[in-house]
Amino acid sequence: MTQRHRLATGGHVDRAQRLGFSFDGRRHEGHAGDTLASALLANGVRLVGRSFKYHRPRGIFSAGVEEPNALVELRSGARREPNTRATVAELFEGLAATSQNRRGSLAFDWMAVNGLLAPWLGAGFYYKTFMWPASFWERVYEPAVRKAAGLGRASGLPDPDHYEAAHAHCDVLVVGAGVAGLAAALAAGSAGARVMLLEQDFLLGGDLLNDPAQEAWRSTTIAALAAMPGVTIMPRTMAFGFYDGRVIGAVEQVADHLPEPPPHAPRQRYWTIRAQEVVLATGAHERLIAFPGNDRPGVMLAGAARTYARRYAVRAGETAVLFATHDAAYDAALALAEAGTRIAAIIDPRSDSAAMQRAREAGFTVRAGSVVTGTVGGTVLRGVEIGALGSGSRGDALPADLLMISGGWNPAVHLASMAGTPLRWDDALRAFLPGDSAWQRSAGACRGVHGIGAAAQDGAAEGRAAARAAGFAAAAAAVPLPEGPAADHRPFELWEVQARGKAFVDLQDDVTADDIRLAHREGFIHIEHAKRYTTHAMGTDQGKVGGLVGAAVLAAARGEPVATVGMPRYRPYAAPVAWGAMAGGEVGKHFQPVRRTSLHGEHDRLGAVWMDAGLWKRPAYYPKATDADAWASVKREAHAVRERVGVCDVSTLGKIAVEGPDAATFLDRVYANTFSTLAIGRARYGLMLREDGIVFDDGTTTRLGPDRFFVTTTTAQAGPVMQHLEFHLASAWPHLDVSLASVTDHWAAMSIAGPKARDVVAAVVQGIDVANEAFPFMAVADCTAAGVPARLFRISFSGELAYEIAMPAGYATHVWQAVLAAGAPHGIEPYGVEALGLLRIEKGHVAGAELNGQTTAHDLGLGRMLKKKGDFIGRVLAQRPGLTDPSRPHLVGLRSVDPNRQIRAGSHLLVDGQDQGWISSATQSVVDPGWIGLGMLRDGAARIGREIVAANPLMGEEVPVKVVTPHGYDAENLRVRA
Amino acid sequence: MSAPEPTHPLAAAARGHHGATGGAALHVTFPAREIVQVMLRRGQDNALAAAMRAAFGIDPPGPGATATGSGVTAIWVQPGQWLLTAPRSSEGALATQAARAFVGLAAVADQSHGRTTIALSGAAAREVLSRGCRLDLHQAAFGPGRAANTPIAQIGCLVHQTDATPCFELTVFSTLADPFLHWLIEAAAPLGVDIA
Amino acid sequence: MLMIPCPHCGARDEVEFTYRGDATVVRPAADAGIEAFHDYLYLRRNPRGWQVEWWQHNGGCRAFLKVLRHTVTHEVRGVVTATEALEVPPA
Repeated sequence: MTQRHRLATGGHVDRAQRLGFSFDGRRHEGHAGDTLASALLANGVRLVGRSFKYHRPRGIFSAGVEEPNALVELRSGARREPNTRATVAELFEGLAATSQNRRGSLAFDWMAVNGLLAPWLGAGFYYKTFMWPASFWERVYEPAVRKAAGLGRASGLPDPDHYEAAHAHCDVLVVGAGVAGLAAALAAGSAGARVMLLEQDFLLGGDLLNDPAQEAWRSTTIAALAAMPGVTIMPRTMAFGFYDGRVIGAVEQVADHLPEPPPHAPRQRYWTIRAQEVVLATGAHERLIAFPGNDRPGVMLAGAARTYARRYAVRAGETAVLFATHDAAYDAALALAEAGTRIAAIIDPRSDSAAMQRAREAGFTVRAGSVVTGTVGGTVLRGVEIGALGSGSRGDALPADLLMISGGWNPAVHLASMAGTPLRWDDALRAFLPGDSAWQRSAGACRGVHGIGAAAQDGAAEGRAAARAAGFAAAAAAVPLPEGPAADHRPFELWEVQARGKAFVDLQDDVTADDIRLAHREGFIHIEHAKRYTTHAMGTDQGKVGGLVGAAVLAAARGEPVATVGMPRYRPYAAPVAWGAMAGGEVGKHFQPVRRTSLHGEHDRLGAVWMDAGLWKRPAYYPKATDADAWASVKREAHAVRERVGVCDVSTLGKIAVEGPDAATFLDRVYANTFSTLAIGRARYGLMLREDGIVFDDGTTTRLGPDRFFVTTTTAQAGPVMQHLEFHLASAWPHLDVSLASVTDHWAAMSIAGPKARDVVAAVVQGIDVANEAFPFMAVADCTAAGVPARLFRISFSGELAYEIAMPAGYATHVWQAVLAAGAPHGIEPYGVEALGLLRIEKGHVAGAELNGQTTAHDLGLGRMLKKKGDFIGRVLAQRPGLTDPSRPHLVGLRSVDPNRQIRAGSHLLVDGQDQGWISSATQSVVDPGWIGLGMLRDGAARIGREIVAANPLMGEEVPVKVVTPHGYDAENLRVRA
Repeated sequence: MSAPEPTHPLAAAARGHHGATGGAALHVTFPAREIVQVMLRRGQDNALAAAMRAAFGIDPPGPGATATGSGVTAIWVQPGQWLLTAPRSSEGALATQAARAFVGLAAVADQSHGRTTIALSGAAAREVLSRGCRLDLHQAAFGPGRAANTPIAQIGCLVHQTDATPCFELTVFSTLADPFLHWLIEAAAPLGVDIA
Repeated sequence: MLMIPCPHCGARDEVEFTYRGDATVVRPAADAGIEAFHDYLYLRRNPRGWQVEWWQHNGGCRAFLKVLRHTVTHEVRGVVTATEALEVPPA
């Protein structure tokens, strides 16, 4: 509880706010303004995790998103979140963190034996080892790999928090609120543009937070931005992707810094931001140097140690060595010395530099022309080995508990690269910089402009230019900018110190420089191949600190410059994003909208069992207490239709009003049969083909007037049919004057079917004589039903006398109740989709299972419907030999030889052991009890009467079935026309 | 027997306050509307404009725009297509009036039962809509009298800003009105919403 | 995520649109024969570069639009209505 590494003054922590937290069960204390990492360091915790493959001890390596090592599990129970970077986790009271990837205690990890197996665990280990024998995979390898692999553990419980999506628009989007980003936002905002300023940190300022002299400008600027009505400042918001059309994806951590979200607040918010102009001010990430033991806890990026000292007022070590290849890194030594750390030495491969001279004048020990050749210690650093540059041997050791390293800085070009910006090599900074791009502007360190003053100038210039490009030409007033000392970030070219021992280029994935060379020797010489073979830069840090170093090692092996080898392609996500945030609110019942007919409440009252049909909920059947099982309900409903009368909600069918002087011509072209000859007040069954000759959809179409038709589609194809019609009106026949209106939702409809249907309809409908002669099969007329406007159709899908009543949807409940009342004396029963299916299978009507995108009109026995004259969609290609082959599977009826043996849709039809087709639909018959079905069978018509086998290997069934005509029930349609 | 009043698609929706308490930032109502889809016949642009002026006192508005006359608002929805909306009077009244006025000039489809309008008002209305609406609803880009079709929460929605409160009328397919309302309530919960 | 400037609605998000492929193919005359319809339905140039494509703004104004898009950079350079023509720049 002592925070013995905390400085007495300075930094951006609030010492008045003490926050208790725990790590691996031990209680510690930190302050508001801390991250978990800074608080751990303040308490002297150095060892925070075990590495992925070798289980080597690891400590805190960075102070930001680039952290490869310090991944912990945060919180517990359902809120447990693995792989959280301690360097960006904001401290809160009660935070509980656990180290991960260890067996036993963190200090003694049983799996560290993997380190001894290292010679066999090199690059491509998984590819090489687990290849054979194949039978070992499921039994041996996979369980072992699953146990050993991966980092943290997911909670395995439903996430108690919710996440939401959000959309935003702006004129100028600025990503990053360091000095360049603040200046850009200030310039663009002053010009009058709508500005959004995104910062992943909870504090704005970036490197300004490391310099007390800049605090005045930082706070003044933030206040000025906050006062501008057009400027939105979004801290804790990380831009993870740059997409076409200047669309930026970002995640806002709304409540991650709290123990749990406040009531109704989301945990995180997933932003999609559409910007006119984008200024990227994403800064730079310091890179490591590969040398043996560069992963030992106590080895830290120099800039991170400086940040812990200046921003968090934490001394990361008592005795430190700085290993740097450029002048800018020397400020870390100064910062640590100010914090009370003893600087044992500065190790620099260069022979001389301005910073070196200043350091010597200030009393530091500088060893020019030297490098770190190794580290000494167990789970924490105890010493640093130093040798002469190029000597190749491990040199003398200096005691130290902190080794600060800097191999230079990599501009954070992730987002720029995702925007398609070419990257160009800069020989001075030895880094890739963004080239010219129409989609984004980069400013400050992310394009190699370092130093407070220079980056501020750069940011302001780009902010102004962006505002101008977005149409805010008003000469923006000059904005106040900070001054700062220049910093020289040009490094000596040193990627790797070759000496005996593991020199890591990727700490998170345990990839060494030797692994990269092995990949090269084995032929994986392309950067993308080497990456995948070694897993280099594939961790949550995406190679931010070591990616370029690995590329440089590969370049050296290839004997080519790094510029030629390049970097693996940058893709979203630039930093980890939680699945919950991606799913947003579209989880559980909000996964997709549920579509309900206007009779939904009526079905609910009748106790319907629901089934999904696309987005729709439809009643499957209406169970009664007296029904033994679901089949009993279905058969009871079907019996009612066959013997008395039933009523079924058919509102989900697609309905399209087709109108215009060319409506009849149009329908003749989109349907395989003719509609121009249809009489007014009559309906006709229509078959629609795709252009390739396969059946697309079917339904009845009614002519309401010379130029007015009412088209119905199947439930499933309502949307696609509408688009199909619209496409052909736009592309093929733009001269036709036809309008289309989807009226599916305006009209509800119910089918009344059965021998007593006419009696029920006559009792409900007014204004029409429903006698058979006056209102024959396929007649249609407007009427009133139970006092409301309605339309009556005499159409049947069940094989019985049937009518459909359609009415404006708001009246459906009223009519439904009237129909049930009128039908009560006749024993009416509501029937669901299951009975509907049973009835149509008995009758031999095809439906979705037969119109499956593989069948032709001829296959379905509907070949006669195709008109002989005139153009229609699918006419020509339906004549292709492959579609007219007489041996194609053809629609047949099927009946289980043993009425008690079930047949199933999806079973294969075997004739003499040969696969000759499949069962498309199956049910139990109520007319002739037993299992029946429809199927597609080669030479189907010729095989009627034969006994064949329905094989279902999944269920282990082979059921003898008899091939029968699909139209066995009332083949003359006497009942329908009665 | 006189015709009963139709059942509103959201008749069963839970009324009252949802979400955060402490003064509802948002108000939701379900205005009863007649809605008629008008589809221009080829070459009848001028004649239809004249007929609409004569019958309803408004010119057909252009893309993204609306026009309000004596109790009737026309909303552009597609090239050559508008929705006419009016407070509900009697069944089919607006459709019948439009069909008479536009004979030979436009096809008319009654959508009064097929579309459901949800009115959302309150200072935070834009913020709530931004949780699912991809349109830029900022004053500089949208505003009173503007309208646009766009999917919100996977549901096609006609967004029409009626005043500067701001108040938005959100018109969706009636069979999807219930899930749409649920989305809206969830999106508004952090701010608090009253359903009238 | 493309932003497609609809000539009626302004710039809209890709999710509001449905892609319908090459807009330069023309449905043959009714008597053109199987080969012609085969080519219309199945043969595509699949260029590396500029292509005129059908996109339906089905989440907005439902219009079928012709969109000039670069298949490598995804840049959208022009959008017109179905009856208008778009000039394809050299690759």
